[in-house]
Amino acid sequence: MTQTVERAAVERAGTTSTVARTFVQRDVAVGDARVAIDPRVKLAGVAVANVLMIMHVAPVVQMVAVALLSVPLFVAGKARAAVRMLACYALLCAAQWLVQMHVDALPWLHIVGLTANGVAMMMPCLVAGAAAFTTTRAGDLVCAMRRMHVPDAVVIPVVVIMRFFPTIRRDYRMIRHSMRLRGHAGNGLALLRRPVRSFECIIVPLLMNATTVANDLTLAALTKGLGTCARPTSMRTVRMRASDWAALAVLAALVCVGAAFA
Amino acid sequence: MTQQMTTATRSNRFAVADLITTGVFTAIYFVIVAVAALFCNVVLTVAGNIFLPAIAALLAGPVYMLLAARVRTFGPITVMGVVLGLFLVCSGHFALSLVTSAVFPCLADLIAKAGAYRNTAAMLASYVVFSFGCLGPILPLWMMKDAYVASLERKGKDAAYIDLVFSHVNGAMFGVTIAAVVVCALIGGAFGLRMMTRHFEKAGVLG
Repeated sequence: MTQTVERAAVERAGTTSTVARTFVQRDVAVGDARVAIDPRVKLAGVAVANVLMIMHVAPVVQMVAVALLSVPLFVAGKARAAVRMLACYALLCAAQWLVQMHVDALPWLHIVGLTANGVAMMMPCLVAGAAAFTTTRAGDLVCAMRRMHVPDAVVIPVVVIMRFFPTIRRDYRMIRHSMRLRGHAGNGLALLRRPVRSFECIIVPLLMNATTVANDLTLAALTKGLGTCARPTSMRTVRMRASDWAALAVLAALVCVGAAFA
Repeated sequence: MTQQMTTATRSNRFAVADLITTGVFTAIYFVIVAVAALFCNVVLTVAGNIFLPAIAALLAGPVYMLLAARVRTFGPITVMGVVLGLFLVCSGHFALSLVTSAVFPCLADLIAKAGAYRNTAAMLASYVVFSFGCLGPILPLWMMKDAYVASLERKGKDAAYIDLVFSHVNGAMFGVTIAAVVVCALIGGAFGLRMMTRHFEKAGVLG
């Protein structure tokens, strides 16, 4: 009982145990094959990106930050997402440059300049966030949070949320299907014709099911020992490796350079 | 000894059940905020983001009211805010989101508690306060002017005029945002309460 694998407990509720087991096995195999960056380093990246934004750093530092913070995306094999974000940033930089060239003749360009500049300012945060959010596995995140002594009041909801997202999507599809069956809002645009009624038709079953799932999950989790006081073991362990410390050092250097060029 | 252990386990069990319920409802709330953000960015463009908290407030009423009615104790509303803040910050939103989404929901929790999580007026007021928790992600919009002025000055351009115009725009925008949140939260909260009497009470899911 003390061997609480709360991740697996939550994971298996609502699905067959065979499916869950294969999923866990694949999870481990992938984790071993690739270099995983410690989730705490990615969170540090998010923090550094925010500090840089507040400091209004020089464009050069901003560019370096965007490039560096997109590295975890490449490492985790999300190169397409990374390239998309970098291309978006390049477009914003180009827009700013064009505005700076012509703004004296055309004052209304200030609106474009302000917007492009503002979004570019948020870009390090968005890249770091995408890296932290899409490349971290639920098990790693839980392990990292336990290492950081985050209270259970936060850890348990976070685990539940990550497991519940796919259920929401599936529920939504089924709700839309049965709405269509009853002749209400055949396609997406028809939802807007009677928005209040459409919203009611979607949110009420979604919440009804949410209460049922919450009950099921509670039973599953308690059966697997989530309520016990013992310190749970974790199937995945995260620890800081030399590369993680190096990445932290780079991030610290980035803040120092940013402060110098602010 | 055995007696003590039983009570400890029981209270713990309730805590776990409440936390899981909170997690499930927070997931739905996060999806609603994400949909609101998508709508703002795609339909209303970057400046339209000032309506993000208002649109989220308009939609999340049923989630909030049902969570409060399911648990009826201090904690879940605060936890929902804090966890939402964590998710927002981890997904690349402004770090101060964590502060706003912890402080306002905590206040909202206290107001709802004053009404024993049943009083309609208290629940409505607490939902309005709770809705301000979503202000965090859009706070950088008010930093955009300073960043732009800094970039103009870096190029040696005169930025005094821009500074003046946009500081007026910024002030007006802030007023509009606050007013929109209050109005939308009242509508969304009333809608949530109506859903409670119309569907959830009849279905017996109020816990």
